[in-house]
Amino acid sequence: MPLLLLVGVVSLFASTGTSLLDLVGGAPPPRDEFHIRRVEFKPGEIRIRVTNPQRPELTIASVTVDDAIVPFQTDGPATLDRLRSSTIIVPFQWVDGDPYTVGVTSSSGIETQFAVPAAVEARGTSPRGFLGYAIIGLLVGVIPVALGLGWLPSLRRADARWLAAFMALTAGLLSFLALDAFAEALDLQARLPSGFQGTGLILLGVAASYLGLTFVSQRFSAQRRQGGASPLEGVALATLVAIGIGLHNLGEGLAIGSSLALGELALGTFLIVGFMVHNITEGLGIAAPIAAGERASRARLAALAIVAGGPAILGGWIGGFLTSDLLGVLFFALAVGAALQVVVEVGRYVARRAPGGLRSGHVIGGYLAGVIVMYVTGLLIA
Amino acid sequence: MAKSRVTRRQLLVAAAPAAAALPLAKLALDEASAAAPPTGHEGMAMDGFSHAAMIGDDVPAPGGPNERDALLHPPRALARKPGRVREYSLLAYDRVIEVAKGVSFSAWTYNGSVPGPIIRATEDDLLRLTFTNAGSHPHTIHFHGIHPANMDGVFEIVDPGGSYTYEFTARPFGMQLYHCHSTPLKKHIAKGLYGALIIDPPKPRPPAQELVMVLTGFDTDGDGENNFYGVNGPAFYYAKYPIRVRRSQTVRIYLANLTEFDPINSFHLHGEFFRYYPTGSSDLFEYTDTVMLCQGQRGIIEIDFHNTGRFMFHAHQSEFTELGWMGFFEVVD
Repeated sequence: MPLLLLVGVVSLFASTGTSLLDLVGGAPPPRDEFHIRRVEFKPGEIRIRVTNPQRPELTIASVTVDDAIVPFQTDGPATLDRLRSSTIIVPFQWVDGDPYTVGVTSSSGIETQFAVPAAVEARGTSPRGFLGYAIIGLLVGVIPVALGLGWLPSLRRADARWLAAFMALTAGLLSFLALDAFAEALDLQARLPSGFQGTGLILLGVAASYLGLTFVSQRFSAQRRQGGASPLEGVALATLVAIGIGLHNLGEGLAIGSSLALGELALGTFLIVGFMVHNITEGLGIAAPIAAGERASRARLAALAIVAGGPAILGGWIGGFLTSDLLGVLFFALAVGAALQVVVEVGRYVARRAPGGLRSGHVIGGYLAGVIVMYVTGLLIA
Repeated sequence: MAKSRVTRRQLLVAAAPAAAALPLAKLALDEASAAAPPTGHEGMAMDGFSHAAMIGDDVPAPGGPNERDALLHPPRALARKPGRVREYSLLAYDRVIEVAKGVSFSAWTYNGSVPGPIIRATEDDLLRLTFTNAGSHPHTIHFHGIHPANMDGVFEIVDPGGSYTYEFTARPFGMQLYHCHSTPLKKHIAKGLYGALIIDPPKPRPPAQELVMVLTGFDTDGDGENNFYGVNGPAFYYAKYPIRVRRSQTVRIYLANLTEFDPINSFHLHGEFFRYYPTGSSDLFEYTDTVMLCQGQRGIIEIDFHNTGRFMFHAHQSEFTELGWMGFFEVVD
């Protein structure tokens, strides 16, 4: 009934046109600026992906490259409805490594510019590229996590206090990743047209993954304890950690993939090694809860490594071939929620199982050590 | 931009296991890294659709052929006859015009076009111009030349709905011009209130194919920089519709620069030299192929083409050229 009334009121208001709004002043004219999502350089041409971020439709009328009008074609309609996109194709003999500024002018004469610091050829979808992203994902995701799990035997020999310290280190590491992913999500959403409501999307992603993992962990512990609300431990907790790390690596893979595709990232050998060493600590994070529980099979461990590291491959493909800031925001938000949930889960475990609980020196030190390790690694190449 | 997305994921300690993966990493980099692309980008993606092809049907110019002839071809010169009255009426009004293919501009116009109509008189004619302001802002007409103070269009502001009659003896001969002198001056000129005023000498100039070229610029997004340039208005118009002239007769161009914002503009002709008479007020000329004009500067160009064929003319500021200020002469026998 309230819905029917709402429909009535809305249609009544709509029938007055703008006359009611005119009581409080005229509406400003539309900004008529495009949202330029990406500029790609291909041999002999430049491709400009544009979106109409505003409510009124927007028409691509003229295109410039470095303040020179150029002929162009569009792969879709030249007149874009709200939040619709087209790719502008400009035949252009660009110079490798030179900066370029492209401008897209609407039919109302408003020019939107996009500066590219250095033109670099964008590789398209190809089996070679597919394989390339897979190998990069494998190198920076799966392999380091798997290697990190190699610490398991030593961890098993550690006494309970040190094990608790490593668990806390896992929590510190994940806290860092959560905040990092949150900052990335905020950065990315700021570039989206406001119509996409990036902040709402972040909340949606964080809530969905946090609550989703809460639900999953509830199921795990219910299976183990027949309904008792006890904290997760052992392989179950490790699985949760792996999922959290995996979601984070999905976002990272996406970022690496899209940066590579746009020629914005020089992924040198040093950086690859950096990622690998860095992600070994993620393997440690997964190993710590297992060490505290019963033995896990090799297949189980391999599965955990794939859960945690594999998404880097998937993210690389998505980022390299689709490049959607919208997906990026969502993925990073999912990573935030997942990491937070795992921190909470690890915290509950440590509080109950560790000697001295959350207040012990080992736990506090371990947590801070986790954050510091991540911070210092961040300093190196930033 | 996206670079910041990955900077956090970096690393310090050199881990032994990682080193084993280096050859693999190298392989991966060769596949997907964005390092140097192959040199040379031969082969156009689309036939007949290249950067150099700013000529013919592909040129993004608005309008059809001959639509702008009234602004290109001046009325005929009349022999001197002291006391003759030349009457013109100018109506200022706001109008949306197309300044480049598909790009509209909310202009302020004299008689609906930018530039305004060509006004022509012979020296010692009495010019009588009835000006009516049907626009939304106060306007005037300020003429270059010699005239009484109250005919100067500076103090006698004509409010919307008002009118004013300018009356003065046309002198001195030469290529003069007119424009609005209301404040803010920059806005009133940039919006399009200007045009050519030709005053012919007592002794008529030799017969010629006469053209008027007013150099124009349009700042469509209001940032104080022109987005489009052109001759007598729209970008690339005479690149799409070359001006046909005969080789056998002199081509005379009445040239004026009324571009706002940019300190200078220029005219350059390909494959030919011409006589340039600054302001057209004396017999002195320079033989050249390029002239430079500040805003309000003008002159007369006389070309005797040696060759037939298609010859380009444009601003010798490359930026203006590529933003619309270019065209072609089609010289025929």
